[in-house]
Amino acid sequence: MLAVLAALRDEQCGYTLRKTMVDQGLSIDEGTLYPLLRRLESQGLLASEWREHDKRNKRFYHLTADGTEILEQLLAEWRDIDSSINAILQKQGE
Amino acid sequence: MDLVERYLQAVEFWLPKQQKADIIAELSEDLHAQIEDQAAVLGRALTEAEVEAILKQRGRPVLVANRFLPQEHLIGPVLFPIYIFVLKIVTAAYLVPWALVWIGMMVYSPDKRADFAAHWFARVGEGWGAIWSTAFIALGTVTLVFAVLERVQARKHFLEQWEPHKLPAVRNPALIPRSSSLFEAGATLFCLIWWPTHMYSGVVRLGPLAEISLSPVWPYFFWSILALTAVSVMISSANLMRPYWTMQRAVLRLLIDCAGATLFCLLLKANIVAGIAIPNTSPEKAIELTNALNLWMERGVLVAIAIGAITAGTSLYRIVRLKTGKLRPTLAFLAH
Repeated sequence: MLAVLAALRDEQCGYTLRKTMVDQGLSIDEGTLYPLLRRLESQGLLASEWREHDKRNKRFYHLTADGTEILEQLLAEWRDIDSSINAILQKQGE
Repeated sequence: MDLVERYLQAVEFWLPKQQKADIIAELSEDLHAQIEDQAAVLGRALTEAEVEAILKQRGRPVLVANRFLPQEHLIGPVLFPIYIFVLKIVTAAYLVPWALVWIGMMVYSPDKRADFAAHWFARVGEGWGAIWSTAFIALGTVTLVFAVLERVQARKHFLEQWEPHKLPAVRNPALIPRSSSLFEAGATLFCLIWWPTHMYSGVVRLGPLAEISLSPVWPYFFWSILALTAVSVMISSANLMRPYWTMQRAVLRLLIDCAGATLFCLLLKANIVAGIAIPNTSPEKAIELTNALNLWMERGVLVAIAIGAITAGTSLYRIVRLKTGKLRPTLAFLAH
């Protein structure tokens, strides 16, 4: 969820989003991604609209204000967890 | 692209009505984008086999659609272990005895035995059908009750309300409860005193109401029951002094249970009531009563067999657990 919200700081359609995440090393299949996008939209963290792009109708997603706020909270939690784990690993390494 | 359209149609079938069109439009766009990308890489259109591989990788349509549906369950993970436990109890305590009684009736009742011998295939078919319908009703009822409980739990969260101090005491399976040993010792001792004084003569007097005469085979039962009672008193006393199971004690308990159950069944079948004398009752009526009493005792044999089997089964299970070392008192307990 964190990865999806972070990637949608730039507006993208579902397929491009998936490719972006795969290119960054995070494999996510469409069966997981699209239901997640719908759920985040229903929770008000994302907004979407259908637009024509390259002669095809595509649905573009972007973060809402609430989505941006939640993203910041999740990033802060992630950094805390990361530093805690690093501290544990350092201690074990000693 | 017929394959793609057929795939999307199959996914659409399972989707919620309000969101069908929207979801399918998005999935269609994603699928076509992937196919186009792959075609661009290969420099040609994809073959049907390659499109099929893409669809197969996406997953079965119902599973794809399922991810868009709200996650629902009949009985959730919280109640499910309890549900399984209750199903096991119902199977062991209701369905298995039901089957055993059915088999017993086929074997024991002369009428049914003759009929079974003549039409065994049809009777087995009827029994098989009967047990399945009985099982369906019993297990279906349990499932329905738990489905209702699941909905109540979702609203009231009653399972989250509990008190640690209401938890049951730590169970030691090797321990013979003192209360049951006391009760057993008391009851068997009482029987040991009462039995010879009231049952030796073979005539049972129910005050002024009636006098029941027992058949000439009664002494065999009298002495056998007396012997069993005496042994039970000794075992109960031993259990009181050293209240934990040993192999010898468990085997002795099994033998006594089997002997007692066998004796009881034989007693029920023995036409033990020879006559009944009731004031102001004609001899014909008395004979009718005697025959009825003997008949009902005989009919009770199946129940006695079932109870005996359960009791013996419990004793046997205890022996198996002792043998496998699962029923051993802890050293701390032995120190007391």
